[in-house]
Amino acid sequence: MLIAENLQKTYRRHAVAVRVLSGLNLEVQTGEFLSIVGASGSGKSTLLHLLGTLDEPDAGRILLDGRRIDDLPGRERDALRNKTFGYIFQFYHLLPELNALDNVLMPAYIGQSVVGWWKTRSQWRRRAEQLLDRVGLGHRMKHRPREMSGGEMQRAAVARALLTQPRVLLADEPTGNLDAATGGEIVKLLREINRDDGVTIVMVTHNLEIVSATDRVVRMVNGVVTDDTSATKVPHFPAPLLAAV
Amino acid sequence: MYKLLLCLRYLRTRYLAFICIVSVMLGVATLIVVNAVMSGFSTKLKDRLHGVLSDVIVETDRMDGFEIPNPDSTSDNPLPPLTPEQVAARIMASPAGDRIEAISPTIEVFAILQFEFQGQTMTKPVKLIGVNPESRAAVGGFSEFLERQKDAPNVTFDLTPEARRQHELNMLGAAPPENVLVMPNVPQQPLVRKIDDLPDPDDGVMKAEMPRPRVYGAIPGYTIAHFRYRKSDGEVVTEAALRPGDRIDLTTVSAFQTDRGVSVKPVSGSFLVADYIKTEMSEYDQSLVYVPLDHLQRIRGMEGRCTHFQLKLKDYEQDKEFVVRELENIFPPQGGSRVATWEQMQGSLLAAIEVERSILNLLLFMIVGVAGFSILAIFTMIVSEKYRDIGVMKSLGASNNGVMSIFVGYGLLLGVVGCVLGTVLGLWITANINEIEQFLTYVRGRQIFPRDVYYFKEIPTNVEALNVVVVNLGAVTTAVLFSVLPAWRAARLHPVRALRFE
Repeated sequence: MLIAENLQKTYRRHAVAVRVLSGLNLEVQTGEFLSIVGASGSGKSTLLHLLGTLDEPDAGRILLDGRRIDDLPGRERDALRNKTFGYIFQFYHLLPELNALDNVLMPAYIGQSVVGWWKTRSQWRRRAEQLLDRVGLGHRMKHRPREMSGGEMQRAAVARALLTQPRVLLADEPTGNLDAATGGEIVKLLREINRDDGVTIVMVTHNLEIVSATDRVVRMVNGVVTDDTSATKVPHFPAPLLAAV
Repeated sequence: MYKLLLCLRYLRTRYLAFICIVSVMLGVATLIVVNAVMSGFSTKLKDRLHGVLSDVIVETDRMDGFEIPNPDSTSDNPLPPLTPEQVAARIMASPAGDRIEAISPTIEVFAILQFEFQGQTMTKPVKLIGVNPESRAAVGGFSEFLERQKDAPNVTFDLTPEARRQHELNMLGAAPPENVLVMPNVPQQPLVRKIDDLPDPDDGVMKAEMPRPRVYGAIPGYTIAHFRYRKSDGEVVTEAALRPGDRIDLTTVSAFQTDRGVSVKPVSGSFLVADYIKTEMSEYDQSLVYVPLDHLQRIRGMEGRCTHFQLKLKDYEQDKEFVVRELENIFPPQGGSRVATWEQMQGSLLAAIEVERSILNLLLFMIVGVAGFSILAIFTMIVSEKYRDIGVMKSLGASNNGVMSIFVGYGLLLGVVGCVLGTVLGLWITANINEIEQFLTYVRGRQIFPRDVYYFKEIPTNVEALNVVVVNLGAVTTAVLFSVLPAWRAARLHPVRALRFE
């Protein structure tokens, strides 16, 4: 479904150049839950940003269902990010001025004109409320991010990522800012979404404890994929929090 | 949709933006108040300038007045030049006639005014104007400024009974004049004495052929007849140096026509103060003295002549240029005549008023410019604070233009809110400016608006709707323009870098 071919990316600051990806190749299958692991600086987040068209590679291609997406015009990439991809960030990145419901509705606000929104607002509201119920925040719809815990904010971010029924969820260290128990709940939620809705999930993490909930694990070292294996084969410590997954 | 939502949310939650709103509000309010006050002063000044001057003025440089040849005069049957009445008829018969409402012939000449005050002889240079009170009032700018006969339908130089009594007191020990102008239906007072009992004027300036002076009513400017002084407690007091019934002597120059040309010699006449004219323009109130036209003609030896024609038009704005053009056919400039509107007569002063107003507006608009820079600074800070949020929005599919329009729209919203509040504040201050001035005077202990300097009882204001609209449009435009740069920077942010911003 999502293919990265020979991706290269270098960050430059004045005379200093840092090569992050060095000809990376990766294929993500439809409906799979893929985790990408590696040490800090291995290029995991950069890969995720390229896959989600948040950034452009210096060389290489990214294909979605056989169609190249890394060189699309800005407007088409904006549409992809609004409707096809959903993002979950390590630090949640909810807008502080909006309550949980409005945060979840942001993709609809962005993707609709004023007139379009006015015509479909009740449908979007219903979906947003259902999603918040699903992630266990039905009683927190009118609360602002500052009134919620880290886990609740990440749940709200998950609901936001799912609003437009994206085909691919890109999660960048979704448990990185949470304690083990809460992080386990988030991964459990993602597993449910993957299983029940068939959403393809690509999750970047450096926490090996949670990769067992995924289908496949890809390890990155110095900007290239070094290992690509089933998650069951990844050695990990016992993870009682994931026992029910 | 998200742009509007975020604009409104930012407005309610970003207290830093309140500073922008206050800046715009103060700038708009200041401009509205200053423009209203300047417009009020300008309007009042124009009214004053126009007040005494009629719509169109025809004047001649000749000391002996207009000399318009009689068109019926021939070499066999030479006729004297047209009289003022005949000239007026000719004007009314011209193509401009149906656009003219009234005409009044006058004589205007320089003179020296003398009167006795507290044992001293006071002397002032004045402009002596001979008028027919009825026709002069019809032209406008006369009866509305008189103290005693304000807006009276029939203006006269007659004395009131009080004035006549004052004159009798003054003449105690001397006879009052025979031809004192009397009020209609007022019986002759038995104490009034004959003019022959008046002491003769100084023969040093009078010649045998000069007409014997008679005493007539005169209307001097208010400032000529009064003086102001400040008491020890700071109160400004106005006292009359000339009361109705007091005598004034006016010395001017003759305009007798002789074989050798116009004879320019000093002539004088004595008058009794009948009224005052108060235009609230010091230029007029301290220099004008009105006397009967026919008497001034006799004094100066120019019976049947005048030096000016004052005209009132039916529709000034529409007809002024046409009338001036037509009158120049009757009064060609080559003959020493000049036809001008009141605006042309006061052109330099009016232009100065407008220049002052324009410069003041330009300077004050810099206040709004300062508000714009505050918007620039505050928006730059807000954009910096919002880097991550901008990254999030872009990750959710917001376009660069969409992100830019959030902040431009925010600037527009701040500008609009500031303008609304500023307009309300400005109009409120304008409506209550005199009360505010009194309060500030009380607080400071010194008068903010000294009435004796400005000659107005209240601060004049005039709110022009167009001016308010222009100020608001300018302020909103400034707010939007100064928000463009930070908005553009926000739009150009790379989403990845924005998301990683610490």
